Amino acid sequence: MTNSRDVWVFGDYRNYFQNRVTLQLLARGRELAQAQEGELCAVVIGHDLQQWVDEYVAHGADRVLALDHPSLTAYQGETYTSLLVDLARERKPAVILVGATSFGRELAARAAKRLGTGLTADCVDLRLDDQGRLVQTAPGFGGNLLAEIVIPRHWPQMATVRPGTFQELPHDYERQAPVEWLPLPAGLKPERVRLVKSERLAPREQALETAGVVVCGGRGMGSKKKFRNLVELARLLGGQVAATRPVVYARWCEEGALVGQAGRQIKPQVLFSFGVSGAIQHTAGIGGAPFIVAVNKNPGAVMMQMADVGLVADANQACLALIRELKKRLRS
Amino acid sequence: MELNPCLKHKVLRKSVREFAEGVLGPIAAEIDHQARFPWEVVQAMRPLQYFGIQAPPDLGGAGLDTISYAIVIEELSRVSAGVGLCVSVHNSVALYPLLRFGTPEQIARLAPELISGQRIGAFCLTEANAGSDAGGVETMATRQGQDYLLSGTKIFVTNGGVCGLALMFAVTDPGAKGRAASVLMVEKERPGFAVGEIEELAGMRCNPVSSIFLEDCRVPAANLLGRPGDGLKIGLTALDTGRLGIAAQALGIAQAALEAGLKYAKERQQFGRAIAEFQTIQNYLADMATEVEAGRLLLYRACALKDAAKNFGTQAAMAKLFCSRTAREVTNLAVQIHGGCGYSKEYEVERLYRDAKVTEIYEGTSEIQRLVIARGLLSQPTAGRAV
Amino acid sequence: MHIVVCLKQVPMVSELPWDPRTGRLMRGQAEGMMNPACKHALEAALRLKEEHGGSLTALCMGPPEAEEVLREALALGADEAVLLCDPRLAGADTLATSHTLARAIQAVAPDFDLALLGCTTTDSETGQVGPQLAEELDLPAAFNVEHLELTGRALTVRRVYDGFLETLEMDLPALLTITTQEFAPRETPLGGLERAFAQASVRVMDAEAIGASLDRVGDKGSAGRMLRVYSPTAQKKCVLLTGAVKKSVQELFERYGDRLGGLIGQDLASEEEGHDQ
Repeated sequence: MTNSRDVWVFGDYRNYFQNRVTLQLLARGRELAQAQEGELCAVVIGHDLQQWVDEYVAHGADRVLALDHPSLTAYQGETYTSLLVDLARERKPAVILVGATSFGRELAARAAKRLGTGLTADCVDLRLDDQGRLVQTAPGFGGNLLAEIVIPRHWPQMATVRPGTFQELPHDYERQAPVEWLPLPAGLKPERVRLVKSERLAPREQALETAGVVVCGGRGMGSKKKFRNLVELARLLGGQVAATRPVVYARWCEEGALVGQAGRQIKPQVLFSFGVSGAIQHTAGIGGAPFIVAVNKNPGAVMMQMADVGLVADANQACLALIRELKKRLRS
Repeated sequence: MELNPCLKHKVLRKSVREFAEGVLGPIAAEIDHQARFPWEVVQAMRPLQYFGIQAPPDLGGAGLDTISYAIVIEELSRVSAGVGLCVSVHNSVALYPLLRFGTPEQIARLAPELISGQRIGAFCLTEANAGSDAGGVETMATRQGQDYLLSGTKIFVTNGGVCGLALMFAVTDPGAKGRAASVLMVEKERPGFAVGEIEELAGMRCNPVSSIFLEDCRVPAANLLGRPGDGLKIGLTALDTGRLGIAAQALGIAQAALEAGLKYAKERQQFGRAIAEFQTIQNYLADMATEVEAGRLLLYRACALKDAAKNFGTQAAMAKLFCSRTAREVTNLAVQIHGGCGYSKEYEVERLYRDAKVTEIYEGTSEIQRLVIARGLLSQPTAGRAV
Repeated sequence: MHIVVCLKQVPMVSELPWDPRTGRLMRGQAEGMMNPACKHALEAALRLKEEHGGSLTALCMGPPEAEEVLREALALGADEAVLLCDPRLAGADTLATSHTLARAIQAVAPDFDLALLGCTTTDSETGQVGPQLAEELDLPAAFNVEHLELTGRALTVRRVYDGFLETLEMDLPALLTITTQEFAPRETPLGGLERAFAQASVRVMDAEAIGASLDRVGDKGSAGRMLRVYSPTAQKKCVLLTGAVKKSVQELFERYGDRLGGLIGQDLASEEEGHDQ
């Protein structure tokens, strides 16, 4: 059987963020599938999947493969990999896309290894070149470099994609698509890793490393007292506060907040950066966040050039204005 | 002669740099401003063997060579010269003379506490009327049975406020020709040993430089280092090694200033471009880098001679003379590149500028270094030795 | 107990000689350092060794200069160091890297109980080598581990995974990747450095020595092909908002409220009228 031209998207639904990535991938996966006249197929594994199946159809899936079984309720690396790999071997999709969530990255890496194929990590762009190859853009060195990678001779072409890279399509709950409810195959090896406890963390308890929103302050915040305004902003955004080296040196905040080569490596969805010049020791730690808002008096600061939006303003003034504006908008 | 650092020296430099930047970096400015001795850093350094850099491993030391010693001091001083000074003085003019001249009994009794950093060492030569002139020492050590009674005042004692063991230069035989000085090792808890006010100095402010008062301080004769009258010999030997440490320290300050100057020159915009693009600034930077590089080679050459058990006194004096001058000049240029900011305490170069000067003064002024160098030159055949 | 820790040398980013305009990277000239997460993995290994005894093998694939990180590991307390150094191993993607590391582990430490890796590296940032090595070695594994406890042969680990705090159990032999959140690395003792050079040695092995098949390692064994590398900062177009702060902030929400809201899971686009007055 020859390989199909289908594009698969793994249905990663465990929490809001993960499900958002799935929907974002369906949007781009649809373009990729249509360009090569293939089908966009969502593959979803777990239990009580109906709502996700419906959602994926509504967001553009041409077909859904669903493996629903009570024993699959919790995410399990080994079992999910076996199921995905068996399906892929049987149906031979051209491309498998997985959201670059913690679990997605594990699953995709395992599956790629078993399938003996290439996997590009944490892509920030996907496109087809004139030979129909999937060109995957992946960051390195904390987003300071981007690499374009293809997987020319191996099958399937696999990529994990950073959340927030693509825009999801507007949902259409009238949309219809075939849904295959697949039985759990016999002879699955039992999972060797036992999940003993799993508790959902409130955003505030999350570590800086895994925070979706990070508010980072630099020397330009001006003083310890002003720096504390960032804490309030982070609270409103459900994020964490990070700092640059001069700030930690000046003891405006604790050392644990240091982000950069010598500190923590973060990978937020959104980075707010206040009064940060953008020394590479710092930017090496910010993981090329998909959306960066920088505030600096100096529009030429490196951090401003790295940002999507740069506010040319006093860092603290801007922080206070953002707090006021957010309070208004969150209330409404 | 190997001119490239070996892998050991490279890994060592990286490790010490990481430690210095991580542990010392965050507090370097604060301990200078507040003239605070960072005991927490001492505590961190103890298990890492910073207080026994070259001491033998069977006594708990790290057993490193002299180039390694210079690298450790340079890298500490690059971040905080005052802490670099503490470690340098402790290792070179307190611990080293004990290991070199001490009896097995003295080494067994006194060295472990120095090597572990439980006691910080100090070197007490300078007095109101004696400094470069070691013969002018007025502190007296009077023999009383099995003990000596020490009386006198030492000034500008590096590590004075925190030392646990001081090498005290005192006259044991006022009748002898040249008033023979001897060295007594004095633990700080001995009655009659008192630390004076901490000096308010321009630089090295985190190091508690102080006077030490001795008033009928009773020290057992077992604490006499070497023989009575060996003071000058011990002092000069210690200072030869000490000069390597001070040269390394000066080099660390200069290196920090060079890096700060480079960074600022690339960032600071004037007339629409980075000032690093102006030729004058480029000339400054080129001179700074050349001086630092030359100083480093001179220093490592002296260290290598010492490791090879050759005479290194002249080269140590050259390294100290050259590196301290380099530190002063490079910090001066670094401040100049920073303009007004360089004169502000908000920027590191202001501290470097203050720290640099004293390296031309202590452990032998530049004038004394020239004297030592000239003495070495004049005692050799005019054509010199083949190197 | 025999622990194997895999270490990678990565370019020190502050030292990276690269041109932000062209994005060209002269990697050969960059100073190297031990990858931060690998340092944490090594720390975890050292603590386990201190608590449970046994031996620790440090393994590194890289150019000759990568010997540095192995000497560092020896200075910190590793018992044995192996450098996989062979031009034919160069240019490996994670598929080839995991194959190489698996062969090496089987060659130098066939009796290992636990393999530890950093969860990700600062250069290529894939985080894939851990899971793929677990696949190749067919081991129970957990990734992004922040806390671990060993009782007999039972390993209990804790990690944050997609906003969940998970506790997992498995039996040895196993594989874990460690994050930079916990296991703050210890400082290097000076005497350890002296010993790492004077007394210990680094064993250098090539592809044959570890029994790797040459078509599965290095560039040849890799599936991914790099088309180009470039610097995004040169391309990214920053929209500058100037003028009064309040206006700029409002403009930010008007133009990007949708996108921001989508990313943080809040509705920020709409502003209820009347609140401002």
